[in-house]
Amino acid sequence: MSTRLREAAVQHLRSLGTGTGEGAVRRLTMDVEAEGRVEMVTLSLRDGELQCVCSDARNDGPHVLAALRFVAGLEQREDSSPPGPIASAAGRAEQSPDQELASALDDLLTAITRVGVEKAQYAPSVDAALGRVVSTAPQPTPSGLGRFIGRLQHELRSAELHRVARLLQGASELADALRAEAPGLELQQRLSAWLGTRPGSLPQVELLYDRTMIEVGREWLSGTERASLERRYLVDVRSGRVYREDRPRNASASLGPCPRLVQVGLAEVETGPCPQRIRVLQYEVRPEVPAESWQQLQQVAVRSFAEVTEGYRQSVQASPSLAEPFALVAPYRIERNGVFKAFDAEGRQLVLNRSERRGAVLAFYALLAEGAEPAWLAGRLTDTGTTVCITPFAFGTRDLKYTRL
Amino acid sequence: MAHNLEPDLDTLELCLREGIAGNEYADPREALGCSADTDDSEVARALVRLVAANDLEQIGTQSLHPDAARHPSVRPPTEVLADPSFLGRLSTSGDQGLSVERIDDVPTLLAVLRAGSRRQRRAALGRLRERLADRRLLHSDEVRNAIQTIAELRDVELGFELAELRAELPGATGRAARQEHEHWKRLAQQTHSEVRAFWDGQSNVDAIRALPGDQRALLLMRVSELPDAMVHHITAIIEGSDGCVPLESRIGLITSLRYARDPRLVPALVAVLEAERGELVASAARVLGGIDDPRVQPALAERFERSFVAEERIALAGALGMHGDCRGLGEVRSSLDEDQPQLPLQALQAMGSLGSPEHTDLVAKFLDHADASVAIQAARTCARIGDGRALDELTDRYNSTSVPALRAAIEDALSAIAARMELRGEEAVAIDWSEVGDKPAPQKGSRDSVPAIVLGWRDYFMARLWLLLGRVTWAIARFESSAARRDDWAVPLIGIGMAFARREQYALALPAFRRAIEVDRPRIERNPILVRAMAKSFLHRAEQVESEGRQDVARGLVGEVLTLDLRRAPGTVRFELQRKHDVLRREKAGDVDSAA
Repeated sequence: MSTRLREAAVQHLRSLGTGTGEGAVRRLTMDVEAEGRVEMVTLSLRDGELQCVCSDARNDGPHVLAALRFVAGLEQREDSSPPGPIASAAGRAEQSPDQELASALDDLLTAITRVGVEKAQYAPSVDAALGRVVSTAPQPTPSGLGRFIGRLQHELRSAELHRVARLLQGASELADALRAEAPGLELQQRLSAWLGTRPGSLPQVELLYDRTMIEVGREWLSGTERASLERRYLVDVRSGRVYREDRPRNASASLGPCPRLVQVGLAEVETGPCPQRIRVLQYEVRPEVPAESWQQLQQVAVRSFAEVTEGYRQSVQASPSLAEPFALVAPYRIERNGVFKAFDAEGRQLVLNRSERRGAVLAFYALLAEGAEPAWLAGRLTDTGTTVCITPFAFGTRDLKYTRL
Repeated sequence: MAHNLEPDLDTLELCLREGIAGNEYADPREALGCSADTDDSEVARALVRLVAANDLEQIGTQSLHPDAARHPSVRPPTEVLADPSFLGRLSTSGDQGLSVERIDDVPTLLAVLRAGSRRQRRAALGRLRERLADRRLLHSDEVRNAIQTIAELRDVELGFELAELRAELPGATGRAARQEHEHWKRLAQQTHSEVRAFWDGQSNVDAIRALPGDQRALLLMRVSELPDAMVHHITAIIEGSDGCVPLESRIGLITSLRYARDPRLVPALVAVLEAERGELVASAARVLGGIDDPRVQPALAERFERSFVAEERIALAGALGMHGDCRGLGEVRSSLDEDQPQLPLQALQAMGSLGSPEHTDLVAKFLDHADASVAIQAARTCARIGDGRALDELTDRYNSTSVPALRAAIEDALSAIAARMELRGEEAVAIDWSEVGDKPAPQKGSRDSVPAIVLGWRDYFMARLWLLLGRVTWAIARFESSAARRDDWAVPLIGIGMAFARREQYALALPAFRRAIEVDRPRIERNPILVRAMAKSFLHRAEQVESEGRQDVARGLVGEVLTLDLRRAPGTVRFELQRKHDVLRREKAGDVDSAA
């Protein structure tokens, strides 16, 4: 690649924006068509050095050269003004916000697929595509979309091919829903789960009255930023249904520690991915959970692991990007000879997920080694491709003691 | 677009893994049944759809993944302190190798109690408790010596364990400890009912926050004995889900739990590490450092790896050091190596758990620091490192300083180092206190005349009588008259201070105590009752002026009392004074990073 061309591009990049006082340009991403192919090229200045990255993995290919020529002003242009906003691959002159978001999601999917899941975490094109998704989404970023971005970034870091594919499939479905001219009930529900209640659409909520719930676990989850959402898991002691209460950072939700007994006077439950989101509107809270409530909880725990697996599969198929099922299970028997093996009455096995909440898993093993006998176990369900497993959050023993992990 | 009905999934997965651009080995277009000029975005959608659909079909088809049931590895390999000495290899439990649980020799246990790490000292106390339970040994000299040592030990870090052990001792020490426990039970019961009222909506005041500092320290010293409801209330405040406690009080509560060991607190503290920033994280890390729980080390390590705030990193490094993980040692060392360290106090505290004899010089240079609290912390860190090469510098500093608290810290450090040398089999250093500073001034002959002495005592007894009859004003006048008759007599001044302190008139008690300290400081410092009353007066007055918004005055009061030798004051009062001092210092420096 010509050194003179690089220098000219660096000079031009340095000068962009500095004269107007609106901030200097540090990175440019553009779609360049050359040799019959459209590639995404990113030019950035790091420590004064020019970095060129192309989605075809060739840093000195025709696309990069064309981009450098464009930036350096060496190509034929009708006017000499700086280039305007970068057009998306599916760029159109006038787009509605929904269509812009749909395009941004498509670009994200394309960017990751071009670079590959293994390299996507380091790819500037993927960063730029994620940034575009956030900037075209409603502000502040809806919690569903934020959580998708948090999960996607996490899975890209661990290069989990199948999980990334699942998340991207969900994003692709959202893009379709956004493009639908007259979305039906199902599409509206999908849009609400991702983007919250939208103007003109009726909120899909179920009202709950007079329920007794126990919070069995809580965790901080990442969204567009790290630890941007606190999720609490509430279990209805009569039905055994699990709800999630999401509290974005700096927002309020119901008060109280974990565990707690919540006497719900009135609550709204959203129709959406598993576990369903609850908004507790009228409630009383007690920081001490009586023994009989623990007993009730133990009775409503799921005993069949086949049922747990089937429920998990259905949830993930319905919402591949947003479902994060949580379960309360009661093993029939447990083997503790150095490893944890929980079996149901039919001999099916449920295993622990060891890749998340490592400290909780270690603590669980330590307590098992000390002789703790879990009567029920609460945790978030995940899978290793073929095997459904559980990330432990809490367990209860037969003597009605609770341990938060 | 017509898709291939039976695509080669391995090829498709390879394409998605390595990227469809620049993949020389496989083009998904063919496998997907797309034409060669199909746009990338369409290919990407088709590719993702097929891979995801196949993946979703596979879920739950196996009940056990081969790797999933294995026990997770215990810890990632980290740099481990290579201390081959007796203390370096001494574990706290276990039936094999060197373990505190297997030591029967009482003098060795006492030496570990003085020189060991916090965990080793706790274990040594536990072992001593077992040994003292054997009534047959009670009359041996060794055990009598142990009982005396336990009664005199002023280790704030072991407050709970010491209180438990003392309650089992015979005599006045045991009675006092049992009395304190009864007082704690009443306090816990009262606070429990107030906590219940808080969650029932009958009160909007957090009961723990409303307690005076020393009472809160006493309550939280035995947090592991508190009922679940109380601990859940505390965790609600730690996590910020109580709805009313401001950030400063949240930080205050976490710092009050500094030496707590209750595993019930761990999930909430780990949540703070995960979600918060700045001082909250640093405080939570310091608490977690002292808790033996498998959840702690992974959480500390994860936060350390992604933190970029110096205060957080130093606190996390120190906490990791307490769990045997020395990944932050380099950072703490380089922080102390700077010409003007920004966080010397925090770095010295962290060095207490990370340091080894090679860091003795680095730490000892802070003994001359202009800030007395930094010099005191340096002496404490020297004690924890326990290297004999620090003896000379400690002795020199002892001779040159006029700060009683620094002298007290150096005395403790010298004892700890001597104990460590003894455990290493080196020649034990018997420190001759008559050769080092603070030699008791030769008793000057009283220059007061006999009538002045007699009248002085008469006024003093009259003052006591008026106090007995409840006539405080008259009593104070008599005390003042008594003090005026003799220049170097502190007794009436102490009487005034105590009279006001008992009536909780701390603003009036302070001047009397200050005058008494000027006249005869050792008399107050060596008397546990006087030093307790004096320290509490300073503490409560500082709380009063702080609640009025005069932080500078509060800081001055706490700083003033902490320059005295408070070793005979109750551990809870000393702990609270030090805690308040740290909080007020940070507020002054303005480095309390608000929680995000």
